[in-house]
Amino acid sequence: MVFTTDSTFAESVPAPAAPPKTIKLPPREWIKQNLFSTPFNSVLTVLFGALIFAAWRGLLSFTFSHERSWDAVATNLRLMFTAAYPQEQFIRIWVCIGFILGLAAITVGAYAVASRVRVHFLAERTMVFGGVIGVSGLLAPFSTSATVWYIVIGFGLLLPGIAARTQIDEEATLPLMGLLGIAFALPVLSLWVIPYGHHALLDGELIAEPGTVARSSSGPWTVVLIISYALYLLVAKVMNPSAQARLKRAVVGIWLVSPLFLVFIILRDPAFDYDHIASVQVPLFLAYAILGGALLYWLTKPGVGEIGRIVAATVLLAAIGTFLFSAFGFGGMRQIVRILALALAAFALLAPTFSGEQAARRRYVRVWVITVLGLVWFVTAANSPSTVATLSDWFPGGFSVTLMVATFTLILSFPLGVVLALARTSKMPIFRVMSTFYIEIVRGVPFITVLVFFAIMVPLFLPSNMEISQIAAVVVAYSLFSAAYMAENVRGGLQSIQAGQHEAAEALGMTGTQKTVFIVLPQALRASIPPLVGQTIGTFKETSLLAIIGVFDFLFVARTLIPTQTFFLGSLKEGLLVVCLTYWFFTYNMSKASQRLEQRLGVGER
Amino acid sequence: MSQIGLLVVVVGTMIFLALQAGDNLQARAIPTGFDFVGDSVGIQLSEGIDTKPATGGRALWVGMVNTLRISVAGIVVATMLGVVIGLARLSSNWIVSKIASVYIETMRNIPLLVQIIFIFAVIQTLNGLDEDTGPISGWFVVSNKGISIPRLFGLNGSFQWFAFMIIGLVVAWWVHRRRVQEQDATGAVTYPVLSAVGVLAVFGIIGFFVHPVMGFLGPVFGAMANLLGSISESLLQLLLALAALLLAARRIRNFLKSMSSGGGRAKLVDDDYFRMVFAGVGALAAVLVVFAWPGLSSWLLNSGQDLFELLESRFGSGNGGRPFDAKKPDLNITRFVNYGPAGLTLSPSFAAVFIGVVLYTAAFIGENVRGGILAVPKGQSEAAGAIGLSRGQSLRHIILPQAFRIIMPPMGNQYLNLAKNTSLAIAVGYSDLVQVGTTVYNQTGKTLPVVAIWMLFYLSVSLTISVIVNYINVRLKIVER
Repeated sequence: MVFTTDSTFAESVPAPAAPPKTIKLPPREWIKQNLFSTPFNSVLTVLFGALIFAAWRGLLSFTFSHERSWDAVATNLRLMFTAAYPQEQFIRIWVCIGFILGLAAITVGAYAVASRVRVHFLAERTMVFGGVIGVSGLLAPFSTSATVWYIVIGFGLLLPGIAARTQIDEEATLPLMGLLGIAFALPVLSLWVIPYGHHALLDGELIAEPGTVARSSSGPWTVVLIISYALYLLVAKVMNPSAQARLKRAVVGIWLVSPLFLVFIILRDPAFDYDHIASVQVPLFLAYAILGGALLYWLTKPGVGEIGRIVAATVLLAAIGTFLFSAFGFGGMRQIVRILALALAAFALLAPTFSGEQAARRRYVRVWVITVLGLVWFVTAANSPSTVATLSDWFPGGFSVTLMVATFTLILSFPLGVVLALARTSKMPIFRVMSTFYIEIVRGVPFITVLVFFAIMVPLFLPSNMEISQIAAVVVAYSLFSAAYMAENVRGGLQSIQAGQHEAAEALGMTGTQKTVFIVLPQALRASIPPLVGQTIGTFKETSLLAIIGVFDFLFVARTLIPTQTFFLGSLKEGLLVVCLTYWFFTYNMSKASQRLEQRLGVGER
Repeated sequence: MSQIGLLVVVVGTMIFLALQAGDNLQARAIPTGFDFVGDSVGIQLSEGIDTKPATGGRALWVGMVNTLRISVAGIVVATMLGVVIGLARLSSNWIVSKIASVYIETMRNIPLLVQIIFIFAVIQTLNGLDEDTGPISGWFVVSNKGISIPRLFGLNGSFQWFAFMIIGLVVAWWVHRRRVQEQDATGAVTYPVLSAVGVLAVFGIIGFFVHPVMGFLGPVFGAMANLLGSISESLLQLLLALAALLLAARRIRNFLKSMSSGGGRAKLVDDDYFRMVFAGVGALAAVLVVFAWPGLSSWLLNSGQDLFELLESRFGSGNGGRPFDAKKPDLNITRFVNYGPAGLTLSPSFAAVFIGVVLYTAAFIGENVRGGILAVPKGQSEAAGAIGLSRGQSLRHIILPQAFRIIMPPMGNQYLNLAKNTSLAIAVGYSDLVQVGTTVYNQTGKTLPVVAIWMLFYLSVSLTISVIVNYINVRLKIVER
């Protein structure tokens, strides 16, 4: 039998994560049990089997019909994914791709998530894939030679799959990262061999240009591949554990900051005015870092007490004052001064929570200096004019704007959602009512109404001398909307914290804020990871609504731009299918990853 | 203390933002005010109870009706489809459960907007409207002008028939109760549901011929209308104000009662005082509204009177004809007619939104149903098997009633999402509230008032749905001793 033998049973403790062994039935038995167990089941099987074939055939003939002009998509792929990003600047996009993949490789290496894959699993997937290709060749409206090719390829996959499935030992495994590396390397290698090209529209005529894509992308892809794999090997195999542990902590921060870095430095390429920076930004940074740092170092001293609070409150009033004065005509103050003042006020108010030994106080000041540096850099980069000349005021479009809006929305809405959730569960009735009111109103109305509302209102809330671009207003609106949903997810996590945790924290003499920051929130956020990932997927999907209000996003290109090009008049469905597939690919993989993450974290088990 | 400090900061910031917004509104000359509701606008709507509304308010009203129409229909159909998919996902037949899971994974992972636009694109490339278009020519038509099937619609006599059916419902309920009692007492199988449905069917058929006997209700409704007409406006104001005050007083008294036990009253904290003050302030605000706005009570009186007068005329003599009639799709014209005596038609944009919303929501409902059924402890179905129930019986009597309690709250969320998602209709030009509102504010420039109307409408729809779902939840809760 397949059950575990005595020898394995006798071996000490079994691995905790080992899944229970399922009994594999021989194929005939399996079919009998799962498809034809009762007469009713047999009828269902036949009926739905026919349905699958009909649906698959319908889909194939829809996709490969003569009416489809896939040239429309092939020619416009660049437009769909990057819109009007200038071609001579594509090196910037390569740098971004390289950065993200390299960072992903480092993360995988540091967290050692690389596992092994069973050969049988791979063999089964290959078999199924080969079978599907073979059957598709028969069903689709191909020419005879194409049908033969499809069947040959299908069998070419099916037979090795069967061979591996029957010949190789059931327990044999292969390293996942090696496989991924090969899976990545194969298409890159093919770039060097096959002359992939794109179509170009020249004077209303469609001209195939073989080799253009292969020429322009084989080099960059190879470099990216080699760098990423080398980074992975370096981190996973060469580095010692303590360095890995340090890297682990750093990686999270880098992931959070990198979108800003990539968008505002690499993709946007701001033209910094260095004289101005030296005369204004650097002194500002130094002043805030040194004076603010000294203030915070003093405020975090354990015995400061009431006077510290008064000082913090004064800073807050001053910070709000900077905004107020500009409104009443005392403008001219630099925006960055106000923003930094507000940040300093927040740090000052939180200072008692982080008070303690010398080391803790120094760490707090260090965090403050890094924050100031990041803010100064970000505001400067965002305000410098871009050297990437594009048609619209904002450079990305197509799928990249979808990704960008989704990322920034998540980064902005998460802290806001946490604050709203804390307010809604707090003991202070006024904040609870206000937060509940906001959350319920936003959750009760459709996104499109919120989008229109905030797109008008956000510019109105700003001081008169501050301008905001359309896309920034959209991101703010989207974040305010998304935060209400985030808050409900976080609230679920907060409510799952047992009363004992609160009581224990109070017994240790923690203040309310300390209890929240160090005891409640970490546990609550961990418990709310699964719904938060669900919310992330939803946010990503809902970015498609940007097309309605006229942002040049992915869907907008496929729906409005391509069908109006004279050569591809009315080719709507091809582009939409590509949009569907792209969204599906991303969200499906995200949801699968979240399921794995959930298992890894053991949410709900501990 | 710190609460007051925080409050000052937060409220101060809000006031500052509000002042800022007010200044900016004036500086940029953004128009506000609701006068467009009564002003005439030249808007042509694609479909609805009134395709050429005279005023902006009327246009928005047509949009609201359209939104409700598609939401209610969507909720009903999505529930049915979703339950089927959820059950299919749990089927022991491999192929059926695989199809259901592929369906769910596909639908959930593609944005609804993309789906709706795609379906609309497909409908637009269907065959043109013709005498012999469609799967069943003349009866079931699928074309690029829409989808149409025969429709049953009520004539004037249907009011009397429905009144007759209400009697039938009461009788059916009584029969059902008797049968259940008999079954409980003797253990004999009495088919309570089946017999109740039978009674209802008999009443329906008999009512088709004898429904004019309900004509006596006409004078009754007339008397009600006269009664409402004789009530003066100030009397109603007084009554409404009294009701609000009484409600608040009862609320506070009940709250105090719940806080106290035999040993005396529990210590009240800020929060409790806040609640009581909140109830009192709410009641006072209601009284203020009632007296400061006499139009409200006269509107209530007038609309009540209108309703009863309408009912009087419907039930009056001369309405004894057939209660129902049926019509095939009307193919003589180049486009379908959605209202009036013709077939039941889904216009292309309605069909796109409807199909998209239903397919999308059904995937989520399917997952809820599956989760709910899996959440019923396994011992329940084993116990049902042990006492000799068949698989179908155990599903119907043991598993589903328990799963229903778990399914209902997330189901309410899905209904809410569906109602909100119909706002995507703007992408394909279905005249729902958002689309009509966009047209109105493009013409009048009154964006903010229109947005306010949108929000109020959707909030009340959300509130209605959650009240209904909560009510069902409370009713379904296992009564614990």
